[in-house]
Amino acid sequence: MSDLDKAIEQLRQCRPIPELQVREICFKAREILIEEANVQVVDAPVTICGDIHGQFHDLMELFKVGGDCPDTNYLFMGDFVDRGFYSLESFLLLLCLKVRYPDRITLIRGNHESRQITTVYGFYDECIRKYGSANVWRYCCDVFDYLALGALVIGAGSSVQPTRSTDGEDAETKVREAEDEVEIEVIGLGGVVTRQMSRRDAGMINSTNLTPSALPHLSSSGPAGALLTGGTGTGAGSSSRGTTTPNAPANTGGAVLCVHGGLSPLIDSVDKIRLLDRKQEVPHDGAMCDLLWSDPEEIDGWGLSPRGAGFLFGADIVKQFNHLNNLTLIARAHQLVMEGFKEMFDSSIVTVWSAPNYCYRCGNVAAILELGEDNSNAVLRSGGEEMLFNRENTRRLASTYMGGSMKRGGPGRRYRVFEAAAQDSRGMPSKKPMPYYFL
Amino acid sequence: MAVPTRFATPSTVGPAAGLDKDRIVQQTDIDALVSRCSAVKTGYLSDPYAELFLETSAPRDRRYPLINRGTYIRTIALDQLVDGFLSQAPTAQKQIISLGAGSDTRFFRLAAANKSLRLLYHEFDFPQVTIRKIEAIKRHKELSSIISEFSSTGGQVFDDAAPGFQTDMRTGSLKSASYYIHPLDLRTLKPGTPLPEGIDPKLPTLFISECCLIYLSPTETDDIFKWITTSFGQPSESNSNGVGILLYEPIGGDDPFGKVMVRNLSQRGIVLKTLQRYSTLERQKERMRMLGFNSGMGACDVNFIHDAWIGGDEKERIDKLELLDEREEWVLLAKHYCIAWGWVERSPSDQEGVFMFQNWTRFPVQQT
Repeated sequence: MSDLDKAIEQLRQCRPIPELQVREICFKAREILIEEANVQVVDAPVTICGDIHGQFHDLMELFKVGGDCPDTNYLFMGDFVDRGFYSLESFLLLLCLKVRYPDRITLIRGNHESRQITTVYGFYDECIRKYGSANVWRYCCDVFDYLALGALVIGAGSSVQPTRSTDGEDAETKVREAEDEVEIEVIGLGGVVTRQMSRRDAGMINSTNLTPSALPHLSSSGPAGALLTGGTGTGAGSSSRGTTTPNAPANTGGAVLCVHGGLSPLIDSVDKIRLLDRKQEVPHDGAMCDLLWSDPEEIDGWGLSPRGAGFLFGADIVKQFNHLNNLTLIARAHQLVMEGFKEMFDSSIVTVWSAPNYCYRCGNVAAILELGEDNSNAVLRSGGEEMLFNRENTRRLASTYMGGSMKRGGPGRRYRVFEAAAQDSRGMPSKKPMPYYFL
Repeated sequence: MAVPTRFATPSTVGPAAGLDKDRIVQQTDIDALVSRCSAVKTGYLSDPYAELFLETSAPRDRRYPLINRGTYIRTIALDQLVDGFLSQAPTAQKQIISLGAGSDTRFFRLAAANKSLRLLYHEFDFPQVTIRKIEAIKRHKELSSIISEFSSTGGQVFDDAAPGFQTDMRTGSLKSASYYIHPLDLRTLKPGTPLPEGIDPKLPTLFISECCLIYLSPTETDDIFKWITTSFGQPSESNSNGVGILLYEPIGGDDPFGKVMVRNLSQRGIVLKTLQRYSTLERQKERMRMLGFNSGMGACDVNFIHDAWIGGDEKERIDKLELLDEREEWVLLAKHYCIAWGWVERSPSDQEGVFMFQNWTRFPVQQT
């Protein structure tokens, strides 16, 4: 077993690794990250995750639900650190996985991956507490400066393979469902399929009637949820994870831009993001800051952000950006969503939130977003498997998808909703003073 | 600020008992005070007195921006309502009684800001808390001189060696012409309970409970309300003096956030005993109506107060103090705390037709 594998094992136990090893891993990570583009191109299938915020035990829960790395290809959209009690272990585990399996995990930068923010929100203090000096914090911050600002997922299929219930009791429903392409599937708590929406249905829904039924414990009687509830054998062990329906029509789900916060008034194309000099501390304003700080909001055009950094942007901005850049979806994180995910603006943008019971206080569930691979892509690949990871080919594919010839429509997406790890396994120090409520 | 765990019944406190329980009590009181000091240090609040109550061994943690903001809004909202009461007929003498006052600094802030204010100020809390507070007052000349100077304008003079006030460290009490600290178990207050020393039921009176009554049982809390409305605010021959109450407390325990809040707090022996019964703004107002504060009442959640009670310039100022990267969490948290108020005043308090709580009708209220 290599030292790196040992470190991964140790971190999986939520035990910090020695300072010297942190330094070494951060150095190696920087060598890998420096080669990555500002907007890293990622092939589907991929599982997209939102904020983690040092909730280590919930990150383990995420891997249980989404599959282990490298079996599952992951894309984390930043905010690994701060707020939770285990920022260090969470970030170092993800970083070790990055060094170990650079092509199977993509890490992009969140607004908390910054020197300034981590000194306010806990990561700095945690490093001091666990190592007695700021060295480890400094090594990590140096890595933050090299993280990509976004990712472009290409080759996503336009539908997901409907997850089958294993008990076969509601086979009739399933057959009927299978006649339509499933654009959106929601796997709720306990691996229960709570929603399957065909492309036709999906065109008529918006996020407000999509998300609540994803939550059997909050809203038990959503009609579509009720229709498909009952399959309990589709949880973490399901073999259907991340696959696409074999008889899907040969159209693609198009490119999906992943970024931590959102858009910037200074950025009208993905190419403009590529031109930024990202290897620095997150600035207080400007394009790089906006990408990490902005939020979608029900407004027209641009608005001032109450966060004090970044902007608010409306549906018109998203739709125009997606149109001009041939994107079918923007996936972002950055905002707590009680239901784990939230699609907005006719499903042109989605917020994915992966920190359940955020700050051990908010009572929310979390979600990850799975994008399957495109069928037409699979045909291409059947001629030569080696093309899968060929960068040159990837770029050619990207330019094809960016060319504007494809049919619009969101990619097939499967949301897996999950809860916080059981309280007793979280290891919260019970005597810790509690500044979380007003007493 | 209340010290909640002292109200917890033994069964909810679990293994914590005796000395251990006292330690938890002190911890929670200090915890709330640390939050206040953090909001002061970060520039949200101006309160030079908060830190004087913090013992030297206490942690001086900087709180998250969201906690700072919540501490700020709660303080500002109560300040505005208190000012609304004090500024009506400003020359008339008035009385404030703070329930579970803990290490609150409101008296010192008011007295220092306006030495000619005609105000009688009382604080009720458990002796463990009042002793600590009085020790701090004796330790810091800034605090004791405020009491002395403010009391010397009030008329009554004590012939004690201490300038302007008397203390009893055995019981944890302090008295002066204008400021009293009473070591008192709030659960003893019921209709018919005699008034503690120095309280004048004929004065227009304002009660304040900052996160305090929520820890008492519904019966105990209702009894306190009834004690207030039967002991104060009774119309006399000539006029009615009026009595009002201000509450700051959690609401909404039925949603996911609320359930986690109840669970997290109960793990520390803190039970929000009236949360269920007064869980909404509507119920808070109904409680005022039913328990005798029926001349007028209102209730707003802290999120609404943040949006509607704070002026544009001030909001801009606090927005600049810290990056609040917790927007959604802030809204979620702030919607789970409310300010509720009610008053009873049967007729104008003087011949000019002044109602002491009239200013309270001018605050923006939340539609429910």
